[in-house]
Amino acid sequence: MTRTNLDIVVNGERHQILIEPHWTLLHVLRNVIGMMGTKENCLEAECGVCTVLLDGKSVNSCILLAGQVAGRSVTTIEGLGNPEHLHPLQAAFIECGAVQCGYCIPGMILTAKSFLDENPGRRPSRDEIREAIAGTLCRCTGYRKIVDAVALAAERMSVAGSNP
Amino acid sequence: MNAHAHRVAGQRLPRLDGIGKVTGKHVYAADFTLPGMLFGKVLRSHRAHALIRKLDISRAAEIPGVRGIITSADIPAVRFGQAVRDTSVFALDRVLFVGHPIAAVAATSLEIAEQAIAAIDVEFDDLPALFDPEAALDSNIRIHPDWESYKALPIIARSGNISGRARIHAGDVDAAFASAHRVYEHRFTTPLVHPGYTEPRAAVADWDANSNVTVWSNTQLPFDTQNTLAEILDLPAARVRVIVPGIGGGFGGKLRIGVEHFAALLARKTARPVKVMTTSEEELTSAYPRQATVVSLKTAVDREGRLLAREGRIIVDCGAFAGSGPGTAAISLQIMVGPYKTPALALEGIAVYTNKVPSGSFRAPAGPMANFAVESQMDMIAKDLGIDPLEIRLRNIVKEGDLGPSGEIHKSVSIEECLRKAADAIGWEHRNPEPGRGKGIACSWWMTTGGSSGVYVKINPDGTATLVSGAVEIGSGAITGAAQVLAEELSLDLTDINVAGVDTQTAPFDYGAQGSRTAFSVGNACLAAASDLRRQMFDLAARQLDSQVDTMVLRDKHVVAGSKSISIAELARISRLSGGGLIAHGTAISPSPAYDPTRLENHPLPAWNSPSYHAHAVDLSVDPETGSVSINRYVVAQDVGFAINPTYIEGQIEGGVAQGIGQALSEEIVYRDGTVMNANLTDYKMPTAQDVPDVECILVECASAAGPYGAKGVGEPPCIQPPAAINNAIAAATGFWLRSLPMTAEKIAEQLRAGRT
Repeated sequence: MTRTNLDIVVNGERHQILIEPHWTLLHVLRNVIGMMGTKENCLEAECGVCTVLLDGKSVNSCILLAGQVAGRSVTTIEGLGNPEHLHPLQAAFIECGAVQCGYCIPGMILTAKSFLDENPGRRPSRDEIREAIAGTLCRCTGYRKIVDAVALAAERMSVAGSNP
Repeated sequence: MNAHAHRVAGQRLPRLDGIGKVTGKHVYAADFTLPGMLFGKVLRSHRAHALIRKLDISRAAEIPGVRGIITSADIPAVRFGQAVRDTSVFALDRVLFVGHPIAAVAATSLEIAEQAIAAIDVEFDDLPALFDPEAALDSNIRIHPDWESYKALPIIARSGNISGRARIHAGDVDAAFASAHRVYEHRFTTPLVHPGYTEPRAAVADWDANSNVTVWSNTQLPFDTQNTLAEILDLPAARVRVIVPGIGGGFGGKLRIGVEHFAALLARKTARPVKVMTTSEEELTSAYPRQATVVSLKTAVDREGRLLAREGRIIVDCGAFAGSGPGTAAISLQIMVGPYKTPALALEGIAVYTNKVPSGSFRAPAGPMANFAVESQMDMIAKDLGIDPLEIRLRNIVKEGDLGPSGEIHKSVSIEECLRKAADAIGWEHRNPEPGRGKGIACSWWMTTGGSSGVYVKINPDGTATLVSGAVEIGSGAITGAAQVLAEELSLDLTDINVAGVDTQTAPFDYGAQGSRTAFSVGNACLAAASDLRRQMFDLAARQLDSQVDTMVLRDKHVVAGSKSISIAELARISRLSGGGLIAHGTAISPSPAYDPTRLENHPLPAWNSPSYHAHAVDLSVDPETGSVSINRYVVAQDVGFAINPTYIEGQIEGGVAQGIGQALSEEIVYRDGTVMNANLTDYKMPTAQDVPDVECILVECASAAGPYGAKGVGEPPCIQPPAAINNAIAAATGFWLRSLPMTAEKIAEQLRAGRT
């Protein structure tokens, strides 16, 4: 199949790669660039585990064609923080016990980041948080501790006055 | 309870794998790749019951990029299965359900493998099919015509389409019914539901130069998978190595071999590593869902609502293969008795084949189904007799020393405390705070599955410890819990414990991540290993410090003898040079409790190890027009024996309730004429963050004699009671009970309309 050039920025690093027209952003991230933090499940935008940030907004990478994101900037869980410097959301998820199997967690954290970035400096209600993350299924936690974690991170980020 | 006596156990410490999971570093089986890896796909039947007239792979084999195709003709003719050996890798002469594997392809890309699957030419001659489990009981249609030739566990009683039948009986049921104040008969149905793990089942297989195979998989039971693979591949088990890199949930759905055998067989055929991963459609049509059931109860009571006798029958629709069906049918019987004294019992559990997806052991197999029936009926009886639902339960619950259904003795009983605490927390005195709003309660009991666990624990020269276990950290935090036990016993911090990866080649045996047993059993094995390590360290310290062993204690990472001490790290370094290092093998097995075998027939799980007790209470509102249910509050009081890590125990309860709410209100694999109508995650409705309330947990700690620091199993129970508790609350709100799950808005609205006319 004919391959075409794709120029994208992932976590601040520029990638120039060859893609087939039907490849999704998820496929490129996982199988071409080799970043496995973005998870794969339903491939139909139903479960949310593949969520990444595209120019800062959460998207389901499983239904975005890679060609659609040419020239744009993608943030995956690997670009959010690292074990030495966790993002406040990552720290709060651990602190609140919001992580069990963990497979939905990268998508959940990035969904929450997109939501908090849209509401800078504000402390959203639990209902607002629930609505914001409702597109990402978690089968382990029953969501309570995930809502706790997003609320805690929102509080800390609003106090800090900046959203890393 | 005694958390204050411990430094590490009982504390809300962060899980050991948390940082890896929030940063994307944690590797799951679905993430695992090897150089040169091929991609495997499985051709699955689109017919429910048919003879295979023609199977031609020639056109598929010519597609560029296809590296190998296998059918039943290419592999050893082996039948495998847990209770009954009725399962083959591929359909032989006939397909038995829509989704039945027929062939598998390995190709250089997933797209090519999918094209090849579509190019395989199969023709069928349809056979009459059975979809209704009750009709299958005495139908002339045989789903397995050769069932008598299959090997099965000796305890399993089979005949025709019945893959297993178990009974419990006690007392004189007929006399009790004859003399009862009232007798109540009800029938309930529950549907197929999927465990709903977010990581699909995945496996990568690779054969080495010595014809040994390694499989990286997200199985819950690496040793069971190793054995099953060995049978399928016709190899000694030692030549099959199973490694579990990481697992994205399982809930019982990843207990039995799923895609590992396809990967291993394709890798052998192609001499290349092969990866196989399921799609959502495959998950919902051909994984291991919870069985659909039909539960019939006939219960006799006296004037005060005391239980006198119960006749009960559960029909477990196991689908095309027995799977865990016979065991599930048997365990149902203990749930049908519940945590109640009932002098006379005649209970029967039947697993029956149908031409539908083979089912498995989703979290608390039999629990939600049988409890939905028993606890709904309990409330119907209470209403008819004018007794409060809490009161009728308190009159019937077991006390310390009472006999259980198998004649075993109830010990460490906490059901009254659980009921009272759940009722108090929900505000039981106001059961109908406003029109259309009601509160319900339900209770149950559940086993802590035993099974053996072994661990190796090695002390490193920096004084930390490495824990080698064959138990999979499925997400519950159980391995962090076991590590807390180990750290406690060795005077280490939790962060001093390094957990090695799960590998059947190097880890001691473990019975697996199933049955609410991991923290319990691995924790016990850690206690044993720590005890051995203390002895080793004390012996070594005795020579170094010139002190007596009986004066020594382990404190703050040192062996202390009076005024003298030496660090664990120093002892490990000395031992490395002089004695091969400090290493221990700790083992644990929970002895089966004594029971009365005359009460049981063909029951593979006769008496429950260290059972737990629990009560759920819910406050909900029913929309008078649409029938939709919104849950206002949900309270669980669960006896956990000892809370090794309260945070993750709450996590188990909150997550289990969410699954239970799904089973109560929305989840069902819908079949029409043998085909699944909702094989995607939009139409298979699992609860989202907007469907689950903030579950309130009350941890009751009534210590068991057998668990680490008194712990009992935790993981499965929370999903048992939600359907019954919610049904009872719906009844409090509306005046009627539902008899079938899920209790959708449509079903409730229909009853609301019927009530108005």
